[in-house]
Amino acid sequence: MAEEKTIKDKNILNEEIKSLKGKANRLRKKVLEMAVNAGAGHVAPSFSCMEILVSLYYGGILRVNGKDHNWPDRDRFILSKGHAAPALYAILADLGFFPKSDLDGFAKNGNRLGCHPENSTPGVEAFTGSLGHGLSIGAGLALGAKLDKKGYSTVVLMGDGECHEGSVWEAAMFAAQYKLNNLIAIVDHNGLSATGILEQYLSVSPLQNKWEAFGWDAISVQGHSFAELLHVLRVNAKQKRSKPLAIIALTTKGKGVSFMENSPIWHYRVPIGEQLDIARRELNQESEDLQ
Amino acid sequence: MSHWTAGMRDSFFQSLYEEAKKNRNIILITSDTGAICHDEFKEKIPYQYINVGIAEQNMIGIASGLAQTGKIVYVYAIVPFATMRCYEQIRVDLCCMNLPVSIVGIGAGLDYSTLGATHHGTEDIALMRSLPNMEIYSPADGLMADLLARQYDNQSGPRYIRLDREGLPLVYEEESEFDLSRGFSVLSKSKQLYIVATGRMVYSALQVAKKLSSQSIEVGVIDLFRIKPMNKEGLWGVVKDAKCLVTLEEHFVTGGIGTAISELIAVQKKTPSFKVIGIPDQFCEIYGDRNDLQKLYNLDVSSISKSIKIWLKNI
Repeated sequence: MAEEKTIKDKNILNEEIKSLKGKANRLRKKVLEMAVNAGAGHVAPSFSCMEILVSLYYGGILRVNGKDHNWPDRDRFILSKGHAAPALYAILADLGFFPKSDLDGFAKNGNRLGCHPENSTPGVEAFTGSLGHGLSIGAGLALGAKLDKKGYSTVVLMGDGECHEGSVWEAAMFAAQYKLNNLIAIVDHNGLSATGILEQYLSVSPLQNKWEAFGWDAISVQGHSFAELLHVLRVNAKQKRSKPLAIIALTTKGKGVSFMENSPIWHYRVPIGEQLDIARRELNQESEDLQ
Repeated sequence: MSHWTAGMRDSFFQSLYEEAKKNRNIILITSDTGAICHDEFKEKIPYQYINVGIAEQNMIGIASGLAQTGKIVYVYAIVPFATMRCYEQIRVDLCCMNLPVSIVGIGAGLDYSTLGATHHGTEDIALMRSLPNMEIYSPADGLMADLLARQYDNQSGPRYIRLDREGLPLVYEEESEFDLSRGFSVLSKSKQLYIVATGRMVYSALQVAKKLSSQSIEVGVIDLFRIKPMNKEGLWGVVKDAKCLVTLEEHFVTGGIGTAISELIAVQKKTPSFKVIGIPDQFCEIYGDRNDLQKLYNLDVSSISKSIKIWLKNI
């Protein structure tokens, strides 16, 4: 019986993962078209964290409600690497936080959605874009929840280059001191920043050891693997931990489009012409492969 | 004798402590900066007192997060650390998000005289003034500081409160003598010359007025305690018919209340003759107590009176 249940669970998970892969693929295509339409936006950084965002929003991790975005007991999510706003916006629109048609005006004249998130947008908790802010704000939210004996969690998604900011480590010390076990930091560890490869000019390695040394539980996962992401996030939800949790998600910047992958020049570049054709073709091919 | 006679800093925090005892949502955060009554916070209401360590950037972010959960947050540090070290956090986490957090800076102007330029509060008004959504309060004495600590109910966005450690003797005897919502108070009237002063320089301005009146120069004194938003219309209504207008502050002349008022009068058709008195645009490299440094910069009562007299003769 136990074996049958395990097989059944595995099949359910496989189906779920297949569905989430399809979601991530559709969202990547949406992000690409938003950026192409605007001639602006960080495509490769959005692709880097797509599976993380999809796991959080569609994997049953974040308790949020698009129809009641100010629900007091909602989980709080802060996109501290604010330049991945197109990915977040595509998801929030998909979940009904605001009309999908708003995405058509992304970063265009008069629209409220720009290249970095602003908290006036339904579903956005913090005004980010300047790096190194989100973890402190998240720690404040997490402490507020504890003071009010509220059960919601706070999740902060950061970039690995963002970990250059000293304020990240001020917040890390604070969260450990206050035993903010209702706080999760996810580091999108793609190894690249706006202009280069971190290891070549200012290494952040070893990230997992750094978070552990700062008093956090830390775990590394493959950041494009739904199986690994969902496992660690779901185990965390059930576990009673005494420390905040850092998830180091090993990712590929530009994931999903071959010429963008691991190439720093695509940090803030929107493909045009032949490259756009290739990007579309590759994402469409992935759609077909997932059928 | 009321507690505010202890001075500006202690009256503010004693008053805040009394409020915090009644309201669990009030949270005081410091970046390892002390005041006598902080011990009472630590002992009696420890969950409402946070020392984030020497980490001002994090202090502002934590305040932002807590404010979003409905907490009434006060952050506290020496002026340059409360305003400059974390300026971009103030800009984004508090002002862009327009959250009701009070930044309390201790050591206005040359208050921390002997600690040197690193600890002087000489640019804070300029910095805070340039941020949208930010309000700036610069109380003249402990009585006003006391009231500011108790007035948070209607606060919708961030505010900066610039305090002196001492701030004695008092400028006011009763709270009814000033109206916080008006933004300034006219302590004495004149058709000849007004001094618009802020913080502890209000007391100095009153002494200057006394000194000059004995020499037949009639001086009106205005306490500009809310620097932003400035009640421009109200202020202009008072000073427009005076022949001369002087601003007085313990702050660099660049960007302080002198600049703020010059922006006000620059767009008027007919304006009083105008003089800005403050700290010159240079870092202080000389040590001494506050009186010594005020004399160095001609900000003592005698020097101010003299410079106004010379100026009046030449206009």
